Amino acid sequence: MTDYKTPDNKIPLFLPHSSASTDLNKTGSWRYVRPLYDEKTSACSAACPVGEDIARIEMLVSQQLIPEALETILKENPFPAVCGRVCFQNCEDACNRSQMDDAVAIHHLERFVGDRAISSEQTPKIKALPDNGKKVAIAGSGPAGLGAAYFLTRLGYGCEVFEAQSEPGGILRWGIPTYRLPQEVLEKEINRIEKLGVTIHCRTPVTTEMLETFKTQYDAVFIGCGYGRTIDLKIKGAQKAINGLQFLYNIRAEHDVEVKTKGTAAVIGGGNTAIDVARTLVRLGGDPIIVYRRRRKDMPAFDPEVQMALNEGVKLKELLTPIRIEDAGSASEDHPAPYVITLQKMKVSATEIKGRARVVPNGDKTEKLQVDHIFTAIGAEPTESWHHVPTAEHPSLTLSHCKLIDADIPIAYGGDLTNRVKSVADAIASGKQAAMALDTYFKSGWDAVNVAVTGCQVGPGPVVSMAMYLGEERKDRNPHIVSYSEINTHYFKSAPRTIVPVLPPNDRNQSFIPVESMLSMEAALEESQRCFNCGICNACDYCRLYCPDMSVIVENSGRGINLDYCKGCGLCVAECPRNAMALKEEDG
Amino acid sequence: MRQVAEGSQAVSEAVRLAKVQVIAAYPITPQTHIVENISEYCSKGTLKARFICVESEHSAMAAIIGAASSGVRTFTASSSHGLAYMHELLHWASGARLPIVMADVNRALGPGWNIWLDQTDSLSQRDTGWIQLYCEDSQDVLDTTLIAYRLAESVNLPVMVVLDAFFLSHTYEPVDVPDQKPVDKFLPPLLPRFQLDTGNPRAFNQFVAPQAYMEMRYNIQTAMEQVPENYVRIAQEFETIFGRPYSLAEAVQCEDAEIVFVTAGTTVSTCRQAVNRLRAQGEKAGLLKLKMFRPFPIDFFRQVLSGTQKVAVIDRNCSFGASGIFAQELRAALYNAESPPRIFGYIAGLGGRDVTPQTIEDIYWQTQKENNPQTESIWIGLDQETVESWQN
Repeated sequence: MTDYKTPDNKIPLFLPHSSASTDLNKTGSWRYVRPLYDEKTSACSAACPVGEDIARIEMLVSQQLIPEALETILKENPFPAVCGRVCFQNCEDACNRSQMDDAVAIHHLERFVGDRAISSEQTPKIKALPDNGKKVAIAGSGPAGLGAAYFLTRLGYGCEVFEAQSEPGGILRWGIPTYRLPQEVLEKEINRIEKLGVTIHCRTPVTTEMLETFKTQYDAVFIGCGYGRTIDLKIKGAQKAINGLQFLYNIRAEHDVEVKTKGTAAVIGGGNTAIDVARTLVRLGGDPIIVYRRRRKDMPAFDPEVQMALNEGVKLKELLTPIRIEDAGSASEDHPAPYVITLQKMKVSATEIKGRARVVPNGDKTEKLQVDHIFTAIGAEPTESWHHVPTAEHPSLTLSHCKLIDADIPIAYGGDLTNRVKSVADAIASGKQAAMALDTYFKSGWDAVNVAVTGCQVGPGPVVSMAMYLGEERKDRNPHIVSYSEINTHYFKSAPRTIVPVLPPNDRNQSFIPVESMLSMEAALEESQRCFNCGICNACDYCRLYCPDMSVIVENSGRGINLDYCKGCGLCVAECPRNAMALKEEDG
Repeated sequence: MRQVAEGSQAVSEAVRLAKVQVIAAYPITPQTHIVENISEYCSKGTLKARFICVESEHSAMAAIIGAASSGVRTFTASSSHGLAYMHELLHWASGARLPIVMADVNRALGPGWNIWLDQTDSLSQRDTGWIQLYCEDSQDVLDTTLIAYRLAESVNLPVMVVLDAFFLSHTYEPVDVPDQKPVDKFLPPLLPRFQLDTGNPRAFNQFVAPQAYMEMRYNIQTAMEQVPENYVRIAQEFETIFGRPYSLAEAVQCEDAEIVFVTAGTTVSTCRQAVNRLRAQGEKAGLLKLKMFRPFPIDFFRQVLSGTQKVAVIDRNCSFGASGIFAQELRAALYNAESPPRIFGYIAGLGGRDVTPQTIEDIYWQTQKENNPQTESIWIGLDQETVESWQN
């Protein structure tokens, strides 16, 4: 010790001190519980049909690691720019942040990452296994078919996609209007799949004869032909109505754009197609009225879309079902509308069917609606009868999003053909699940499929993760879903959700310009920082800061515990803002 | 520069002039103005220091101990219950030989809940190894605080600067606030004799066996014994620069005095007036201002009070079951002196009750009347009606 003398201090200090290292004292021997980094599952990721690792994606965005964020999305979903626009955002409904202020704008961030990849012409690293020599034929190039092709290619399979239409994309190209999904965005993301080595044969509808030849030319088949046919109204005068899905197709294919859009239009139905038809009519100068047999709250269409339609001037008539369509007869200057629909008034019955309100005719009360056009969008079904999943003739295995049958070669059915929820994300999920199922079938046989697929579930499932299937780190994640009460909210300040500029409703009847714009880099960073990163270690280092024994060590990019000195006090676990740690009792 | 300042402000100004580097404090009436002023200096940048807000006095002292261990100049302030709450760490600060300076504003302890003057809070800490310096007025407070840093750093022991609640902490009077330059000359930057240093890792204050513990304690005692001598030298240096003398205990007209008052704090000022009035009546009264209580300057008292017949100690405190604490200490100090005076102990002005010149004159007459003290301490100014009602 350096001590010195001044007139003021004559007596040397006699103090206990030591320069011996305290390394000798391995305080880890006192421990009876040990802390560990125990990454858990975020509620958003388990709610996402494709199981994107959202908590990690937002962490990467907040760290400005945009290419890494893109690659993390692409592990589970080949369509970030598409889904960032058209997905119905289960993730945001599940977001823990909504209990503090507002849910994180996950879909805007996904679109931001997807669009940045397109605008910067970034070539992401996509993990793919070497070619295993096996080939798979895929019927349909919608989100299910392309999803299956993308994931099977990554698993080492040679994939050929057969598409009936002139361009690939299925519902994404023909069924979703461009104000929601610009064609260029779709094409860029399809190109990325093609670059992986997927061949797409357009104008080549698969027939039953082709299916038979596939059995000799390919090792497996995936059928994702979707619901291409609109269910017809079965009432008198139904032929006077226009098929809504066909109408959307014609608009995208630029056929007949000018006809049948001016004036009033009744759009029969309450699903997403009905909304898309009505909003398209608004943009073409029409005056649509949605006629739905139940109430708004019962509509299967995604609520934000319904709200936007109403904002744009679409009218909604509830609890009415058409029973007859007639010519107005005396069509004149005063009454130009040529059709009269007789609508049966409905009422809500006390009983429910599958959680939805049941409606029954309200006696014989009717009303009449006179319109220029009638569009139907009351649901869809498979285009061809053989698209239906066979029920009995072959051994089969039903998974949450696809069905596998053993017919000489394995055939997987996915997309709308098998999915309970008919959505783009669920269709992609079916392609992924089918890819895992087929791969497991070839590697370990039929009986191993169910266990392998359910072993890759995100949290309690049913959504599955390809990263987990490929044995990446995510496989070690605890399936426990982090709840809001498990977040140390004192580490987070309330901050409003970023507001994305939208086209004013009055401007939307002029064009098909996208309604929502993209987040700026600055806004994306700010929004991603709102994410709690539930269950994920983002290296915030509160554990390291609070450790009284300096036992938290930096390992590569992560953190570890030096068990020689950790006394097991648990401060690190108590302080972790996002429940990425746990305490475990020592054995013995 | 002369300013009109309250006692609290005099402390804060001294802390600013001493260029203290770390302050940690928890507010308590009547200490609050001291730390409020300092926090303002810190936020304005007039004092380039780290102000650590803590959740209790225990933590305030703990934080200051940590800071002082790293070799920086430190300060905190407290009062009453806050000081009591610090007690454990007061022992640690002195045992660890850290030159911490703290202001204590003398306030009564509850219950009954009382925020006014009473010396029992600081006197309860007399065995913690802290040097204690008591102040009479705002100038005394400012100067003593500066001296305190020199003294603390000379012997590596902490110093408590004590001032009366409200009578001093909240009373405005003219104070000469010196310029920075002469203060820098008097009080150069702290040169720590030991410090926590990541470049030279070392553990301090770990386990000590019986073979060494006693020597450690004796080392503290020898440092304490050196304090009066250091104080005198440092105070002389202070007087050379600033022109204001500070002795261990100022003796006022004691040479021929038959009765000498001994007291501390603002009561000293009142006592000066009482002595003048008594002298005007031909009475031989004197006054000894108790400045340094720890270490208790025994030799000094023996010297000054030898030959004095009677000493009247005015305590604004009480060690229950014994007597006023100043009286108790003085009796012990003089017991082995040659021809010690008779010590009359008076307890007055507890919990902020006034001690007026008349109170002090009453004490004088009472002391004069008796040849020997009838009891260890006489309580002055009790409400007789209340007290007598207890007898029935």
